[in-house]
Amino acid sequence: MAPAPLIEVENLHKSYGDTPILRGVDLKIKKAQATFLLGRSGCGKSTLLRCLNALEGFELGKIRVGSVEIERGPQRRPGEAQLRELRNHFGMVFQSYNLFPHLTILENAIKAPMVVKGLSRQDAESIAVPLLEKVGLKSQLLSYPSQVSGGQQQRAAIARALAMSPRVMLYDEPTSALDPWLVDEVFEVMKQLDEEGMTQIVVTHEIRFAREAADQIVFMEDGVIVEGGPAEEVLSSPEDPRTEAFLRKFK
Amino acid sequence: MSRRQATTAWGAIAAALGALLGAPIAGSAEPAPLRWAGDSEGGAPYVFRDPRNPGRTIGFEVDLMNAVAKKLGRRAKFVQNQWDGLVPGLKRADYDVAVNGIEITEDRGREVAFSIPYFHTFEQITVRAENQSIRSLGDGGGKVAGTLKYSLAERILEERGGIEVRGYDSQTTIYEDLVNGRLDFVLLDHPVAVYYGEPDPRLKSVGRPVGELSYGIAVRKEDPALLAQINQALAELKREGILRDIYDRWGIWNPVMAEAFRDTSPSRPARELESYLEAMGQKRGWKERAAQYFSYLPLLAQGAVTTIELSFLGMIFAVALGLVIALLRLYGGPVLSAGATIYVELIRGTPLLIQLFFIFYGLPNVGIKLSPFLAAVIGLALNYSAYEAEVYRSGLQSVPRGQMDAAYSLGMTRLQALWHVVIPQATRVVLPPMTNDFISLLKDSSLVSVITMVELTKVYGQLASTYYDYFGIGLLTAGAYFVIGLPFVRLSRWVEKKSSKGRATVV
Repeated sequence: MAPAPLIEVENLHKSYGDTPILRGVDLKIKKAQATFLLGRSGCGKSTLLRCLNALEGFELGKIRVGSVEIERGPQRRPGEAQLRELRNHFGMVFQSYNLFPHLTILENAIKAPMVVKGLSRQDAESIAVPLLEKVGLKSQLLSYPSQVSGGQQQRAAIARALAMSPRVMLYDEPTSALDPWLVDEVFEVMKQLDEEGMTQIVVTHEIRFAREAADQIVFMEDGVIVEGGPAEEVLSSPEDPRTEAFLRKFK
Repeated sequence: MSRRQATTAWGAIAAALGALLGAPIAGSAEPAPLRWAGDSEGGAPYVFRDPRNPGRTIGFEVDLMNAVAKKLGRRAKFVQNQWDGLVPGLKRADYDVAVNGIEITEDRGREVAFSIPYFHTFEQITVRAENQSIRSLGDGGGKVAGTLKYSLAERILEERGGIEVRGYDSQTTIYEDLVNGRLDFVLLDHPVAVYYGEPDPRLKSVGRPVGELSYGIAVRKEDPALLAQINQALAELKREGILRDIYDRWGIWNPVMAEAFRDTSPSRPARELESYLEAMGQKRGWKERAAQYFSYLPLLAQGAVTTIELSFLGMIFAVALGLVIALLRLYGGPVLSAGATIYVELIRGTPLLIQLFFIFYGLPNVGIKLSPFLAAVIGLALNYSAYEAEVYRSGLQSVPRGQMDAAYSLGMTRLQALWHVVIPQATRVVLPPMTNDFISLLKDSSLVSVITMVELTKVYGQLASTYYDYFGIGLLTAGAYFVIGLPFVRLSRWVEKKSSKGRATVV
């Protein structure tokens, strides 16, 4: 029997006021897999990502990561501590990087380990500096975010998230704000993490990169998953006409 | 003088808290001093700063009250208060009596009780020396007349009709405006004309006495025993010739007095008047002038210390309160948020002056009686907390939502995210406007002289009215404000420079 998936999402419902965004999402993600969420803008893929690490609440459904399970229903309401426990499993990378502008690149990466985990500055640096070197920012440690390029900022944001030792990395359109020639340097970092066995969930419009790096593709529309499966299958022979129509635009 | 005892900010806080909690004031063996209030900015010859030694307060009313207190077996203690505030302050029981050329009128008699008159005088017309056309009020039609606001003279001029009346706050400036042609004539109490009008060779007093008025010592209506004692003291002082002696020395004995006191003997030399005119008329070289300005410095420094204490305490409380209000407005839920909004709009929408009057003179009606210092600090703090709250709110809102997301996603709690991520960024945005607010609070603190505080601007008013020097002393005072504010201007620059670090554009 195959091992239980690392992440399980069941019947997830989420709406903003009267507008439903997620209408019963089911999803399983195995450890060390790279899962790409595709779909038109507004289909709910970013919201799904934000629900996973509890930046957004949801009305109904269940999310399990490892042994942490959060269920929401008419009778059930997860507490703040439980949400944070869920959140601790995830590192998140945002479209607009969201680095802390008042801190240097290095300080960005050591702030949370010091504040949240209570590490000393020295211990925090011994974790953060190798990570920043790994993403190629060895000589930018003392620069402020505004002094480096967008690609460098996004790589710093990845290192910052990694410094908290997450089990899963979430990417919300990580290259959408970048100039085209800076996109690859970010993808290279993500590919390297994939090779090292990191579980990753990526929301993106870069089909080219999905083709190259995805283990699993999930295609969403109108708040539900219309098709999901091994990357090559979904990309080369989509079963659902909506997936096919979407992919055709990118060829 | 009315300077508070507490000299340090902490002492002041302790004293203020003590006053708040109604701590009893330590009793002493000797009889309580007779606290009498006047406004030393009002000028000579009533109560004013000695031109030879500005640290001293002198005047015929000082001599009068010393004599009265002696009769009562008490020590006289002068309390400084704005003239307009003398009666309200008396009703608040900030002092025992009010004495400062307060005319006995029916209106005032409804508010407070008056002693028998201690002085009778009349209104004097003063014109420019070359003026031949004005010899009585009847010649004043279509002319511009100057006098003190809310005085009997003002009412006489207005009832006369056809005269354009200008009301002033300070008598010194009235004669200045007559000299420089802004006014055609001045109608003021005779003692004022003797000290400010007649000594000037460019001016002359003309015509017969206008009206008649009597000054009385104002006492609370709830204090009939004190009133009786004072009346008896005045009667004795009159009988013993002590009052006559005081008025002679100050050169203000007049025909109305002679009639009222049934005393037609000739006046003796007016030593105090001569001494005053000599002190004012001395031709000085620049060295003496410099020395004289130098002699003002201790007084100005005292006022500056009060200004600094008020401003610092006011700002500290305003900052703390403002932050609470801003957080309530942003995160307090619908009810608290609405309450905070109403607070901000209410405070911002009303003048500080009204708020100070309300806190100091209004709150005693509901049983809250604050010391002048505490009332001043609270007034400034409440007023500025509303402005600070708005500054912080816009500062907190200027930090993009994504910063909070990023902090949360790294596992921070809301408090950690606010403290480590949002507030540091908001601080850079709010520090420059905060510095501006502090400098503006520093200057607004001059308003608290209306509730008996003697701070920098009040000292300026007192010195300037004594020496007739609004220019030199004005420059000194402005310089003092500038020096106090300077560190904050520098701080603001430094912060701007420092905060530009994380914001340099990509090269």
